[in-house]
Amino acid sequence: MPLSKKEELKLKFKALALRENVLRMVKAAGTGHMGGALSAADIVAVLYYKFMKLDPQNPGLADRDRFVLSAGHKCLILYAALAEKGYFPKEIMDSYGELDSHIPGHPSMDKLPGVEANTGSLGHGLSIAAGMAMGLKLSASPARVYTLMGDGELAEGSNWEAAAAASHHKLDNLTAIVDKNGLQIGGPSDSIMNYEPLQDRWASFGWSVRRIDGHDYPTIVQTLESLPFEKGKPSLIIADTVKSKGFPFAEGKAAYHYWKATKEELQLADEALAAARAGLEKALAEAQVKGGL
Amino acid sequence: MKQPAMLSAKAFEASEAPIKAFGEALLEAGKANPDIVVVSTDSSSGSGLSPFKAAFPERHIEFGIMEQGAVGYCAGMAAVGKIPFYAAIAPFVSARPFEMVKDDLGYMRQNVKVIGRCGGLTYSQLGPTHHSIDDFALMRTIPGLLVLNPGDPVSIRKATLALAKHSGPSYMRIGSPNMPVLYDEDLPFEIGKGILVREGHDVTLIGTGTVLCQAVKAAQLLDRKGISARVIDIHSIKPLDEDMILKAAGETGRIVTVEEHFLNGGLGSAIAQFLSQTRPTPVKMLGIDDRFASNGPYEGLLGQHGLLAEQIAASSIEFLKKKF
Repeated sequence: MPLSKKEELKLKFKALALRENVLRMVKAAGTGHMGGALSAADIVAVLYYKFMKLDPQNPGLADRDRFVLSAGHKCLILYAALAEKGYFPKEIMDSYGELDSHIPGHPSMDKLPGVEANTGSLGHGLSIAAGMAMGLKLSASPARVYTLMGDGELAEGSNWEAAAAASHHKLDNLTAIVDKNGLQIGGPSDSIMNYEPLQDRWASFGWSVRRIDGHDYPTIVQTLESLPFEKGKPSLIIADTVKSKGFPFAEGKAAYHYWKATKEELQLADEALAAARAGLEKALAEAQVKGGL
Repeated sequence: MKQPAMLSAKAFEASEAPIKAFGEALLEAGKANPDIVVVSTDSSSGSGLSPFKAAFPERHIEFGIMEQGAVGYCAGMAAVGKIPFYAAIAPFVSARPFEMVKDDLGYMRQNVKVIGRCGGLTYSQLGPTHHSIDDFALMRTIPGLLVLNPGDPVSIRKATLALAKHSGPSYMRIGSPNMPVLYDEDLPFEIGKGILVREGHDVTLIGTGTVLCQAVKAAQLLDRKGISARVIDIHSIKPLDEDMILKAAGETGRIVTVEEHFLNGGLGSAIAQFLSQTRPTPVKMLGIDDRFASNGPYEGLLGQHGLLAEQIAASSIEFLKKKF
């Protein structure tokens, strides 16, 4: 079903709220893995607000969909979504960087409801997510498992073990999303270790693959609506994204992988989000959505 | 209360393959609990998984030779309520995927049982790539992870059933060649509790796993020399039965540890670490010093590292002569 203007705006407001949450956490600590959190913000917003079956009041719901953040350093976007969904009081976001904070620099199941795996070391999430998908299939659960990976992370060989086994075992309840923002800490991912052509590599491992613009809402929604892409195969979405998307001063710059925020940059970030909000309000007014959002 | 010594009157009369004992117990556990699944990385029959596979083919999952990924899959399955037993050659489920065991099982506290078979030096002829004499050291560092190393077929069965009931990440090492049966079937077995194998008051030999039988035989040899050696079976490397060790230290004054493991970080190391802080006691650690083992017949390798009964007895006698 095509995405209505109203729903698109609704999702974009949510994504904006997630970006605002990310900034709130960075302000608390003064630093954070911002670039990759924001490149994934739109996809995460659509997953959490349109697709995943979850109950923030009952985080352990047996047949809930699972989201495994394989690229654990993108945790700010996970925390932003969980906070916005009501998994925990938003004030916790102000503790980022503090001793014993519930929102550590990589996600921890013990510290926060809604976190499905203790990631951080790269190349673990796909195996864990696939194991969940396997276990859920064995239990005849309708739940789906999503995992979000970084593109630099693909150089971890353990991913390719997991990828082969997921197709061998026909885990079509598993979806992996590669947040292809094209940059890792040391520079352009393809020049550091080239994994292109990504579609062909994943397809040759038995996955059903689509490559999309990871910031285009109608495309993201349409893609997630058509899961599994093929019965009997795990699905792989390569999402071409822009690192630090939403903060123009930092977009497409590897230096913002781990942001040590200056006062001036925080000011720019505030302004960028305020402008984005104003833009969305304007679009909402122009769209004349009946009954509001 | 005086504890009874557990060595069977029929000890050493029979022997059995550890993998067979494990596989049969696993089948029994699988019958009792439908959530148990077994995971193979191209080593199903060699790891004792065949009886389970025959009974529950849909609960037997093959991954091919991918040990790192398999640990992650186990964690994921456990996270949604399954109870995976993952068995393969010991170094390939301990040293190789160590970080996955640490993070995905230990840090995530997942109910997965990792079984390292043909452990220690028992894959003797295949050389150091296939020996696992560092697994206790590695696994001991993971908070909350059980480390078991049962020392005869009866206790392997009991340990397997105990693992099935225990909730939490675990590692169990078993050996390869037939092991003598040391215990009767009614052996009480509890994770974290040592077994008093035989009484003695001059020295305590603490053995574990495949060389427990050598320690028992060494004690019998010492008897003939007029030395009364207590033998304790520490099948739980972690948690350690501190009470039993402390009692032995107090009552016999000297401890000899016997293990198929590097002296760095193994059972002897754990015991010395504990005693040095509670009741400083002379400890003689027998095991593999800081070098890779060679290759050849299993008993030949044990002999190169002083782990045969006669050598253990001789080392104990020397140790008892030493003034501290």
